[in-house]
Amino acid sequence: MLEQLLIFTRGGLILWTCKELGKALKGSPIDTLIRSCLLEERSGEVSFNYEAYTLKWTFHNDLGLVFVAVYQRILHLLYVDDLLSLVKESFSEIYDPKRMSYDDFDETFRQLRMEAEARGEELRKVKVVSCVKKQGQVSKSGLDGGNKSGGGGSKKDDGDGDKDKVGSLMTNGNHKDDDKTDLANGKENTADNVVLDPSKLMKLRSKGVRGRGGVRKTDSIGNKSSKVSAAEPPKKATKKNRVWDDAAPKQVKLDFTDSVGENGNGNHDHVDIAAADQGESMMDKEEVFSSDDESEDDDDDEPRSDEKKPEAKKKGWFSSVFQSITGKANLERTDLEPALKALKERLMTKNVAEEIAEKLCESVEASLEGKKLASFTRISSTVQGAMEDALIRILTPRRSIDIMRDVHAAKEQRRPYVVVFVGVNGVGKSTNLAKVAYWLQQHKVSVMMAACDTFRSGAVEQLRTHARRLQIPIFEKGYEKDPAVVAKEAIQEATRNGSDVVLVDTAGRMQDNEPLMRALSKLINLNKPDLVLFVGEALVGNDAVDQLSKFNQKLSDLSNSGTTRLVDGILLTKFDTIDDKVGAALSMVYISGAPVMFVGCGQSYTDLKKLNVKAIVKTLLK
Amino acid sequence: MENLEGLKLMAEQWSNQGIEYLQKIPPFQLYAAIGLLLLTTVLLLSFRLVRRTKSNTVLLSGLSGSGKTVLFYQLRDGSSHQGSVTSMEPNEGTFVFHSEHAKKGKIKHVHLVDVPGHSRLRPKLEEFLPQAAAIVFVVDALEFLPNCRAASEYLYDILTNANVVKKKIPVLLCCNKTDKLTAHTKEFIKKQMEKEIEKLRASRSAVSTADIANDYTIGIEGEVFSFSHCCNRVTVAEASGLNGETVQVQDFIREYI
Repeated sequence: MLEQLLIFTRGGLILWTCKELGKALKGSPIDTLIRSCLLEERSGEVSFNYEAYTLKWTFHNDLGLVFVAVYQRILHLLYVDDLLSLVKESFSEIYDPKRMSYDDFDETFRQLRMEAEARGEELRKVKVVSCVKKQGQVSKSGLDGGNKSGGGGSKKDDGDGDKDKVGSLMTNGNHKDDDKTDLANGKENTADNVVLDPSKLMKLRSKGVRGRGGVRKTDSIGNKSSKVSAAEPPKKATKKNRVWDDAAPKQVKLDFTDSVGENGNGNHDHVDIAAADQGESMMDKEEVFSSDDESEDDDDDEPRSDEKKPEAKKKGWFSSVFQSITGKANLERTDLEPALKALKERLMTKNVAEEIAEKLCESVEASLEGKKLASFTRISSTVQGAMEDALIRILTPRRSIDIMRDVHAAKEQRRPYVVVFVGVNGVGKSTNLAKVAYWLQQHKVSVMMAACDTFRSGAVEQLRTHARRLQIPIFEKGYEKDPAVVAKEAIQEATRNGSDVVLVDTAGRMQDNEPLMRALSKLINLNKPDLVLFVGEALVGNDAVDQLSKFNQKLSDLSNSGTTRLVDGILLTKFDTIDDKVGAALSMVYISGAPVMFVGCGQSYTDLKKLNVKAIVKTLLK
Repeated sequence: MENLEGLKLMAEQWSNQGIEYLQKIPPFQLYAAIGLLLLTTVLLLSFRLVRRTKSNTVLLSGLSGSGKTVLFYQLRDGSSHQGSVTSMEPNEGTFVFHSEHAKKGKIKHVHLVDVPGHSRLRPKLEEFLPQAAAIVFVVDALEFLPNCRAASEYLYDILTNANVVKKKIPVLLCCNKTDKLTAHTKEFIKKQMEKEIEKLRASRSAVSTADIANDYTIGIEGEVFSFSHCCNRVTVAEASGLNGETVQVQDFIREYI
């Protein structure tokens, strides 16, 4: 049954709630919906899950109204979408900006609800009948219970309806199509395990809080973990040398590391110590960007679409000019489509991941549909303006990224501020760690490095060299040691000698590599860092989405104690190698919700900047 | 040199021609034309001066969830209707306060703007700051301590904004939700905010001036920060959006509009 249906303005005032269904909602689902979904430019999604509820919404963009329906997640009500659109139509007729209370709408709502429920019943009966027919073809008795949309009883589970459905969908692989048509909320159950939608992200974050440590493992992950955990106790805790299969015979282990003391006061003093002052880090320099006129870039749209249908385009151009002067009644989806498609292509040429561009366009479409076009504006410029707003909103950080303030706060509590650099291989973790250390040192913060990359040859030496050049202490234990333990000891050492910040370097690892992700998660759980910084390169394309979502997933799945730590910030590297293909920043921020804290734009110590949101948005839409 | 001479001669010729032409026009038309020109310039200048009368815009800002939208509707309609949710867009209105409807006489309208507090919508505040005549910064007195740092950062950003410093826009620190039992007092909130801003001052000035986007620094060097150090007036008041106790806020607004 429907729990609640609300109508409120975009400015935040609630205009009408259903008094019949007067049950108070647990928690604050509407506020969470707004904060995690609508303001995050995910309004193109079909529904949003919050604890035990599912929320569906629709906008009336012209009047600036939002209609939200809340119902129990375990039920799959077919008629909600229908009901929402009916409510939207009838409410917009009686809406008056001056009026604040709409008690007469109760009666109308009751009728609409009965109508929608009746329609839903009919639909369900038709589907059950067709489903029974299909039964003869394949044997999938298990899925029947799930197909009955009204009940959904057999799939009752506290909160992981999504995952179970996906699991069952996978086991009945070839009949996915049938499932899709049968299940009411087909779209929300599609296998977008790749893209982390906001409900999952929220779930990942809140998992630890609700203390459901081991319950939620699904079939696939569950099997793997049980197998591995069975194998682990008998094995010793030392890290085995990685053997890359094939013909390589056992070679003599090549190890040229010199035995040096803890603080690297070895015999290699001929290394330059001159890095004390290389000038101001670019973090502190004002960003000077040319303010070109952003006005008539729409001219680019016209010649590009010339390649397509010239005839239809000609008519379209004339009518759009006419409409732009008169100001057409309402924007329809069909009007927005060409402009949005062009915009999506443009974003993709700027190296934004395809799924992200798609979602963004859907979200902008949802926010513009039905809006009245102001006179003397073209559709393309309205769409451009809306997209620009959306991009600025996404790239503006959700929380303050004032690291200095955090460092000071940690200093007051007499503990070091711990930053862990994670990422895949070869993105520039060690280089950028040195840059961050240089920047912090310029601002009179005492830094210590911890060399927890105990796998790659030369990693410890690399950090040692940086430490020597910057004159900062480094904590290292050589190779083949457990990184989590090294990090722990490094933090203890920092507390002892009063360092303000500890920068922990980890080995690069692919997001699919299960044992390495487990090791990373162990490091984070054991040491509870203040900031988990994901280092990503700006050259990456669609893989950024996969990397970040899998990192987040693994970090949350493998966390044991109460608090789940996800990626807190992003460090974008190799920014100087891309000219204007800055889309990776957008993809990463959208998929993880974490702000970009630093941008690495070169290979010397001073090449560290902050993200200039306006410049990036301008470049993306140029 | 010859060029200059040539140009001078040409200029003289043109001026002569112009004078002859002018003399040909009947004097009445000439005077009428000049009179019209003077009139329009005088009108434009007077409009300019008249328009520079003080703006009547008041901004309601603060963190998300502090009660700005409720306060807005209380001031406008005298009731918060059926409650509110997180705002996605600003609420604007030009009106006389609900409690002042009964008063006789000409009361100036107030252009009240409720700016969303969500951090992603922070740029909206920048749009409205240039036209603001006063700012009401709403703080949740009930859930003050968890949000203290974020609130003080927001207030610090406002107090160091170029528009606010140059025009000396007065700020009211309004402690909302004081009808609840466990709400903090305004003195406590004031002291806490001063302490936090002092810490922010230390950490932000430790960074070079071009780094963080704060236009100015506030307070006096070497002394612990206090709101009296600001060049614009900062006062503290209490209010309760749900109960409709907004007297102190209204008095503050009326002082400046």
